[in-house]
Amino acid sequence: MMWLSGGFVFRRGTSVYHRLDPRVKLLISLLMFSVTLMVQALYQLAMVISVMVAVAAVATVLRRVARTMLLTASFSGFIFAINLLATGNLASSALYAVRFVAIVVSTSLFFITTSPDELEQVMKTFRLPRDVVFAFVTAVRFIPVMMLDTLQIMDAQKSRGLELEKGNLLKRVRNMVPILIPLVVNSVIRSGELAEAMESRAYGAVPKPTSLVKYRARPVDKAVTVLAILLFALTAYSFYFLLPAHFP
Amino acid sequence: MGRILEIQRLNFRYPDSRKKAVVDFDLEVSEGEVVVLAGPSGCGKSTLLRAVNGLIPHMYTGEYSGEVKVAGSSVKDSSMRDLAQTVGFLFQNPENQIFMFTVERDVAFGLENLGVEREEMRRRVDEAIRLLGIEDLAQRAPHELSDGQKQRVALAGVLAMSPKLVILDEPTSLLDPRTAMELVDLVSRLRKELGTTFVVVEHRLELLVKVADRLVVMSGGTKVLDGTPRDVLFGDEAEGYGISVPAITRVQKMLAKDRLAPTERLLTAEELAARLGRGAA
Ligand SMILES: Nc1ncnc2c1ncn2[C@@H]1O[C@H](COP(=O)(O)OP(=O)(O)O)[C@@H](O)[C@H]1O
Ligand SMILES: [Mg+2]
Repeated sequence: MMWLSGGFVFRRGTSVYHRLDPRVKLLISLLMFSVTLMVQALYQLAMVISVMVAVAAVATVLRRVARTMLLTASFSGFIFAINLLATGNLASSALYAVRFVAIVVSTSLFFITTSPDELEQVMKTFRLPRDVVFAFVTAVRFIPVMMLDTLQIMDAQKSRGLELEKGNLLKRVRNMVPILIPLVVNSVIRSGELAEAMESRAYGAVPKPTSLVKYRARPVDKAVTVLAILLFALTAYSFYFLLPAHFP
Repeated sequence: MGRILEIQRLNFRYPDSRKKAVVDFDLEVSEGEVVVLAGPSGCGKSTLLRAVNGLIPHMYTGEYSGEVKVAGSSVKDSSMRDLAQTVGFLFQNPENQIFMFTVERDVAFGLENLGVEREEMRRRVDEAIRLLGIEDLAQRAPHELSDGQKQRVALAGVLAMSPKLVILDEPTSLLDPRTAMELVDLVSRLRKELGTTFVVVEHRLELLVKVADRLVVMSGGTKVLDGTPRDVLFGDEAEGYGISVPAITRVQKMLAKDRLAPTERLLTAEELAARLGRGAA
């Protein structure tokens, strides 16, 4: 949970990177992601990760990214061990393990710098149906509400003598029932009320709803896009044709 | 003054219940009025409001008879799209009527749904935000707001659609006394500035008597009392229907038996203070 919220939940920021068009941020993350898959050797991966760290520094999220890397590293150890056992190849196992960290970081960079509002905008540019986008919007919107609900229910049930941390696994799972039932009931009531409120505010009245904000690519967004694509092409080219797959 | 709302012999029964939630209900509301609707829990207040903005019968099916007209048009025959622009509904729990990640976007939600042009929408959103004095919240996320602030944001979203009639379902039930007071002042100000008509379902009558032109009491799905707050509250029947008659009124009623109360039937603490102050001088 901690790992997820630290690594993937948006927090407001004012850096140059935060203010980029969300589509540009998505592009950068996708490019970084792809480069990670093209990497042939560990030292190349190190180059890619340094670029990610540089981006994180520009986005002023270095500390969060570092923590994500550390936490991911434990999973990586796992991947490394399994690979080593299966293949016996030290270099490729290490590559797989570190690559996993790089993949997580590239994805996380997008999510921690892109507000849900911007995510919605990105979804719209892909012309996803309005209902799908809206379902996503409400789901994300109610995450903090549901978390708070859960805490409150847990407190209420604990104060009535429910012991969450006691007993064997089966008992602990059974103990979750008094938490889950009110949570589900709450959500059912909530979705009913949401549906009423949506109707009352003309949801679905016209096939093409308008939007209050319009994201327009500024010159800086265009420049960054060109730069990112150039860097990507250069890196990909050198990985395949110029740089040795292994240090001599 | 035209009639903004006319309800004639409305009956409604939810599909799975034996009892009707609304029974032979009649009501007429003039433009610019503030009407308070009171009554014990489960007497059909929320159901009645749903029938006013069209959720009944458009979203809730059930046994429906009678007629509800808003601004002259039958609710039954109007689309939710048209109704959304004439009737604004502020639900009891503000949390569940805020959809977007920023306040500003949420205020725009209804207008986006209607396909309003961006410039026009910007103007109306800014206006609604200004009316509610939530300029400094415009870029906040819903989970960063207090209950009172959520209430204002939800109301801004309703007002952005420029409804002629606004219905509020127990708007102060989640608010502390001070925020509740501010909401009541807001209703009174909006009525003056915009000429909006309000129908407010509310238990805390002592808060609303200040601004209400009329008090309607409902019991078992029917209207049982209807008049000025003064007439209804000082009448003999008010207590019988389980509404909370304000202490100021009750004291005067008790004293009246011994002919000790002021004869003016004072409704608010301010009125009483002024009267007693005058009496002492
Ligand atoms: N969605 C529903 N489905 C079935 N019955 C309902 C529904 N909502 C309310 N009722 C019933 O209708 C009656 C009136 O409820 P309601 O209008 O919510 O009263 P109030 O708002 O005055 O508390 C109650 O008996 C209630 O149980
Ligand atoms: Mg109710």
